[in-house]
Amino acid sequence: MGKVIVITSGKGGVGKTTSTANIGTALALIGKTVAIIDADVGLRNLDVVMGLESRVVFTSMDVIDKRCELEKALVKDRRVEDLMLLAASQRNRKDDIKPEQMKDICERLKEEYEYVLVDSPAGIEQGFHNAAAGADEAIIITTPDVSAIRDADRIIGLLQNQGIDGINLILNRLSPTLVRKGNMISKNDVLDILNIDLLGIVPEDTGVIASTNRGVPLVHNEGSPGADAYMRIARRITGQNIPIPEMREDNFFSQIINWFSRKN
Amino acid sequence: MDFRSLFTRKSKTSDIATQRLKLVLTQDRFDINEESMKKLQFELTQVLAKYFQFTMNSVSMSLKLDGNSYVLMADIPCGRINPEQ
Repeated sequence: MGKVIVITSGKGGVGKTTSTANIGTALALIGKTVAIIDADVGLRNLDVVMGLESRVVFTSMDVIDKRCELEKALVKDRRVEDLMLLAASQRNRKDDIKPEQMKDICERLKEEYEYVLVDSPAGIEQGFHNAAAGADEAIIITTPDVSAIRDADRIIGLLQNQGIDGINLILNRLSPTLVRKGNMISKNDVLDILNIDLLGIVPEDTGVIASTNRGVPLVHNEGSPGADAYMRIARRITGQNIPIPEMREDNFFSQIINWFSRKN
Repeated sequence: MDFRSLFTRKSKTSDIATQRLKLVLTQDRFDINEESMKKLQFELTQVLAKYFQFTMNSVSMSLKLDGNSYVLMADIPCGRINPEQ
């Protein structure tokens, strides 16, 4: 029996979809069976981030309306074994799906897959409630800024209210240089304010843009700071005890080393 | 440009952000609606009425921000203690 994890944030644009694609791919790369559900009905994006847009034929709406079997609606990843995507319908709206229907899909998927990741839409409305309906655990994505942390706090409150225990935080786009200069809220202050467990820190990595352009999740670009961070996060999800390293600033020498080791 | 500003260190914007965030979250977390507040007042006085004698409409309750946390202030003028207690 697998585990359903909803990936959510409250605020939009903090990296939910990118994180979902990368965590899912990373889990599959370390040999786990993974199904990812795009719960952002009407504004689906996970298919393009994962480079699977041309393979999507059926969506979760087709499964709910019994136009197709669940297994048939799953899209196989192009690069990794045992990684499946259930796309969201682009024609429908978020309130066309009910929480029980989403929960049913999650229940069925976790019988077959070790990890079922649900990419939640932004906001706290119906779409969020649908995404969280079948969740056993939650991952909150936030960036170190006032608005994102405020919204994350709101979401944490709603999830706790729903009775979800395992709520973990990913601090995305942290810049060690800005923290040192006193222009970015530090990891410790974020944890102090939100008072939940930290699953990982993803440093600002411009490689994300190129990876989204190509439709190849960052974790395939081994050695980049973002990829390594997501791989560590995936290992922690599987229960491995991987300490969270202190983020180092890019100095002149590390930039030269990065320049030479870049594969692009 | 103010000459003195060269010597006084500007406060870090991250500290300003953290302080503002703490305040805004305190407000968000205690954003109780009027109806719930009335319900709380009613239920609380139901319990108190077992012990004290007082008139319901003399009770006033409010949430006040005190530094970084909220304090529930209840003003309940009490009469006698109920004899059976």
